[in-house]
Amino acid sequence: MADAPGRVERVLNLLAMLLDTRRPLPREEIVRDVAGYPSEVSANRRAFERDKEMLRGMGVPITVEELPGETVEVGYRVRPEEYYLPDLALSAEETAALRVAVNAISLGSASAEGALMKLGGLEGASEAPIASLPLVPSLATLFDAFRRRAPVTFDYRGERRTVEPWGVTSKRGHWYVVGYDYAREAVRSFRADRVDGDVEVGAPGTFDAPDDFRPDDHVEERAWMFGDDEPVPVAVLVDAGYLDGALAVLGDDVIVEKHPDGRATVTVPVVDTTGFRVVVLGFLEHAEVLRPPDVRAEIVTWLEQQT
Amino acid sequence: MSPRAVAEHEVQRILALVPWIVAHPGSTKTELAQRFGITETQLEDDLALVLMIGVPPYAGGDYVDVEEDDDGRVTIRLADYFRRPLRLTPAEGLALLAAGRALLSVPGSDPSGPLATALDQLEAALDVPEMIVEVGEPPFLHAVREATTRHERLDVDYWSAGRDELTRREIDPLTVFYAMGAWYLSAYCHRVEGERMFRVDRIRGVRATGTHFDPPEPSPADEPARVFNPRPDDPMVTLRLRPSAAWVAESYPTESVTERADGTLDVVLVVSEPAWLERLVLSLGPDAEVIAPADRQGLAAAAAARVLGRYRDPARYEDGMRGKNDRRDSHGV
Repeated sequence: MADAPGRVERVLNLLAMLLDTRRPLPREEIVRDVAGYPSEVSANRRAFERDKEMLRGMGVPITVEELPGETVEVGYRVRPEEYYLPDLALSAEETAALRVAVNAISLGSASAEGALMKLGGLEGASEAPIASLPLVPSLATLFDAFRRRAPVTFDYRGERRTVEPWGVTSKRGHWYVVGYDYAREAVRSFRADRVDGDVEVGAPGTFDAPDDFRPDDHVEERAWMFGDDEPVPVAVLVDAGYLDGALAVLGDDVIVEKHPDGRATVTVPVVDTTGFRVVVLGFLEHAEVLRPPDVRAEIVTWLEQQT
Repeated sequence: MSPRAVAEHEVQRILALVPWIVAHPGSTKTELAQRFGITETQLEDDLALVLMIGVPPYAGGDYVDVEEDDDGRVTIRLADYFRRPLRLTPAEGLALLAAGRALLSVPGSDPSGPLATALDQLEAALDVPEMIVEVGEPPFLHAVREATTRHERLDVDYWSAGRDELTRREIDPLTVFYAMGAWYLSAYCHRVEGERMFRVDRIRGVRATGTHFDPPEPSPADEPARVFNPRPDDPMVTLRLRPSAAWVAESYPTESVTERADGTLDVVLVVSEPAWLERLVLSLGPDAEVIAPADRQGLAAAAAARVLGRYRDPARYEDGMRGKNDRRDSHGV
């Protein structure tokens, strides 16, 4: 804590200098002119690197350019046009409406408050939120790639996928990135919270999504429909009283046959039997797969290994 | 917060504060402190720091000039390089759109009001099409939200999935909120004489009673978090997860998560409903193991045996097959 005020002053002066300059500045010049840098070379180098990292972490676009001259030396600057928030021309009423939205929706991150501060609208009492839609860390990178039309590569369900992100959308409490999957040569949706590890971002401006593209049309929420194989019909016997609950989970794309004793056979198209197993086991002993025999056998084997 | 985080937060605040004052000269310190969510003392400290900002050659006119008149009105000059705030980071742009679009999709929001026009402008500036956020609209959402606002007692038909029964009960609706992909209603239930959580999509009928109730003092708690607020006597269960099931630790509220040397995670969860834990461990299979308490270690095996019993009991199986055969006969397939 002790050195925090000095650090803040130094970082602000560094940024002022980088924004004000018309030419890239070498580190030596920066640490000599800006107050607060230690005089010893390795110490001021470390301090400068830390300050640069803090500014970049906040989103300040510090560019590195080669300086003219005999020796290879680099200089730093911040181009004002890349730094300045464009004028969004928001009225006081509109800023207030955004503030209400940020208060009403709990996203589990402080980013929205940071944005409001830049728009000058943090004031006002906060009420209890009415909805919670947590943003996962990978989503900001995926959103930025979508915005800049840059392909992304990430691990998903044990596989490396490269995708043109055509949209980011939220459905049933989950966030999805939807886009063109190079290996599948088709549009696919990916749950952002299931993206494993870091997202690698390719060159911006690589693609254009179709004008009328709606990502929500392509979001596959049914885990048992993930994959590229043809779906096979799977029949599930559901106990009396559980049909309502089963249909809530299985959706509309099913055939229901009610039996006189109150039970019902529900036939569901299934691509991924592993995903479907989770759904059937969700009913515990109140539902069972009748056919095809291999899917039934798969569940029996799965259960046997747990007893 | 760490010293670094404190410093970063302060830098961000000053970089937002300075352009605001430049654009709105003569704002009072009271207004400014309120707008930026700080005390007046903090604001004075920030302004003192702003006076120390300058550019080479750091002569008299190279420093930012902060002036305050007798009425506490603040003016900033010579801060040309900080005349605009820093552009939004991807995380900030996303968060603003996500919150705005989510609220706008809540049934009852004004689709052409200031929030809608603000989002249109924001999306244009970020060069993205309209973000689609769907929060759903179960049939009785509007009715329960209205009753909640007006403090009106309701007579509802509610289907309990866990117990598989349709019950009729009188409830005093207290709060309605969306979490984990569903709408929930927290209400005082006169049938069980206690506060209960209801899923709005399981409400099958709503009738007005014409009775007004006095709501209890509002609790300052974060409502969405209350979906999973356990009762004090709910048991804690420790699950050991293989790395492939690590998502469990992020998808459910946990008391603690400990990573072990072999890469597995020990996750402590509060379990209100034993059936919920059974479903979870049965679907995870070898990826999860109940470690504690000792009397729950056999939970997965017991549940698996119960479900297997159903697959091995020919009588029940035959019933199901007969249903299928009946249909085959009647359709002459």
